[in-house]
Amino acid sequence: MDPARPLGPAEIEALAQLVVSTVLLGGIYALIAVGLTLIFGVMRVVNFAHGEFLMLGMYLAFWAFTLGGLDPYLVLPVSLALFFALGLVTYALVMRGVIAASHNVQIFTTVGLSVALQNVALVAWTGDFRYIRPWHSAVVLRLGTTAFNLSQVVAFALAVVLTLALFAFLRWTHTGRVMRATAQDRDAATLMGIDTDRVYRLTWAIGIAAVGAAGVLVAPLYSVYPTAGLQFVLLAYVVVVLGGLGDMVGALLGSLIVAGVEVVGSYVVGTAWKEVLYFLLFIAVLVFRPAGLFGQRGAETLGA
Amino acid sequence: MRHRALAPLVLCVAALVAALAVTGVSSQAQPLAGEYKIGVLEPLTGPLAFEGKRHLEGYEIMRDMINERGGVMGKRLVFAVGDATDPTAAASEANRLITREGVRIITGTYSSTLCGAASEAAARHNVIYWETSCVDPRFTRRGLRTVFRTEIDGTGFGWYNIEFIAKHLAPRFGVKPSQLRIAFLSEDSSYGQGVTEAARQRARQEFGMQEVAAEYYAFATTNDFTPIVVKLKQLNPDVIHHIARGNDAVLFWRQAREQNFLFKALVHAGATGYGSPDFGKALGAEGNGPFALLEPGPGFRIEALRPEGQKLEREFRAAVQRRTGSYPLGGHQLAAAGLWILKLVLDRAGTDELEKFRSAALALDLPVGSLINGWGVKFAENGQNANERVQHYMLQWQDGQLVTVWPEEFTTLRAKWIPLGPWDQRK
Repeated sequence: MDPARPLGPAEIEALAQLVVSTVLLGGIYALIAVGLTLIFGVMRVVNFAHGEFLMLGMYLAFWAFTLGGLDPYLVLPVSLALFFALGLVTYALVMRGVIAASHNVQIFTTVGLSVALQNVALVAWTGDFRYIRPWHSAVVLRLGTTAFNLSQVVAFALAVVLTLALFAFLRWTHTGRVMRATAQDRDAATLMGIDTDRVYRLTWAIGIAAVGAAGVLVAPLYSVYPTAGLQFVLLAYVVVVLGGLGDMVGALLGSLIVAGVEVVGSYVVGTAWKEVLYFLLFIAVLVFRPAGLFGQRGAETLGA
Repeated sequence: MRHRALAPLVLCVAALVAALAVTGVSSQAQPLAGEYKIGVLEPLTGPLAFEGKRHLEGYEIMRDMINERGGVMGKRLVFAVGDATDPTAAASEANRLITREGVRIITGTYSSTLCGAASEAAARHNVIYWETSCVDPRFTRRGLRTVFRTEIDGTGFGWYNIEFIAKHLAPRFGVKPSQLRIAFLSEDSSYGQGVTEAARQRARQEFGMQEVAAEYYAFATTNDFTPIVVKLKQLNPDVIHHIARGNDAVLFWRQAREQNFLFKALVHAGATGYGSPDFGKALGAEGNGPFALLEPGPGFRIEALRPEGQKLEREFRAAVQRRTGSYPLGGHQLAAAGLWILKLVLDRAGTDELEKFRSAALALDLPVGSLINGWGVKFAENGQNANERVQHYMLQWQDGQLVTVWPEEFTTLRAKWIPLGPWDQRK
């Protein structure tokens, strides 16, 4: 497009569609990133297995639909409970022992968990690409000249709800305040009588529940396979850094920015460049605003 | 308990029947003196495991057929299997097969990401690398005397795709090839780039087609094709040449439909993306229309092959049916056809000694239609089977099934929806 030329109807049409795509894609990224930013922000653990929990959520939706004919939206409430429980179990078995260890140990642990989960899925369910086709995944809504996919719209709406719910939870509940306190200074929180082990357990479980639910919601849109999580998780890290660690609303805005860079970059410069563009953005944020675009200054060093 | 008492009896009968079957077979064929072991390298774990296992299954079916037909060099063919999860594992498994198992020939390997590393390792031991499926053009361009490839290379895929577009699609659209507007879209692996660049070159130089776009993307991290679809829609191409890897085919097709992007045809090559059964599973009849260049599928006229090819193809199909209960799939066809050619070369050479093996391989000259898949053989000095001998076929998705539609002399079925109509009228 020649920027000097006035926009014709075709350009306006394209632009409108790009905006819609950015918002919907951003919704999916936000859905995946909120759980990660919660765990990252409160526990200061980079959960490299995050994508694998997403993959498990996708498989849950797949099997529920294939074996029981259950729509992913019916599975959603069950998945929250199920993944919360899975979070408690993985915390007790894996994370608890390394929570006070160095970052290196934590990285190796979560990478190990990631590889283990991928391979368990591969052994149990093979490397096949699998798909579900609930009725809403094929429904196309049209508004003016733009087109939306219904499953994507629902995913976006629920991403906003989930983000706001977690934001409100952290901001206004007692447990939320305790979590924030622990994030800011683990030792001081312990001295104040906060059971930090309980806080971490809860944080981990909520984070896993959020990403499990995200998996269920994206299952109608993407294929399900053992390494499906890798498709999204790298982006989720970019989003978390952009939005500021532990900042829910920042994660939502960060997701929209990453999606915008991706969509506009693919359209204007070329698809091959989209990763270059958002990683440049990522590096720029790390250099100039290490606390994230929306984070509190200095937050990145808290609790380290 | 009557049933329990019967169990040993049933087992005895079963064992007897099995023994009879075995003697029945061996009395037909000549007795095989000893064993000849080759290495088989496929990704059996990791993300490529599913395809890798299918290739291994194809090898095993053909191994059993070979052993029923005199083995190789009068010996019983046996496998030492290695798991090539990724390029590093491919190289180390190749080393293991050579040093521990003592093989002099290795065959494999599903993916273009694996064959390079594994064949380098084999070449360092002067061991023959007999490739049956990877198509990276670089494989046979490294000056290695130890590598052979029975399958077409990526440039061959591009050649065939443009052949189909120029000689079959253009006349049916009622235009000259030079009037066609073509958009190239591809995932950015060595495979995608190899095929796409070969196709671009032939489209431009030989037919003067109008290239309106050439876009590459990373298939593993592309979660939304809408920007590409919107962009291509404005460029208004007649044909999309799209090399896809997996989920990207489904996503592109679905989002093109959402955006009501109307093009006249979409052409792909290879067993991934539009060439994978997963595409039909994901979309059913909504996936009607795209073409994929592959080995022959349903509709294939076996009668169009030469008599010796027909016999081989029929026996192979029966063996696959017995083992898997279905039609042979791409992985079976590539591995089996390649292994049969290896047998022909070994029988003629009488040895796996490199120079004698090479001269036997280079001397082999079989026309199209002589072998499984309607293939022929003529190896070049660099070890590549001539692209025009490795007959390939255009398949099209029709109601959830990939069927053979071109070249028309090889099939009973015909291409539909040319040009592709509105999205809701492709039934």
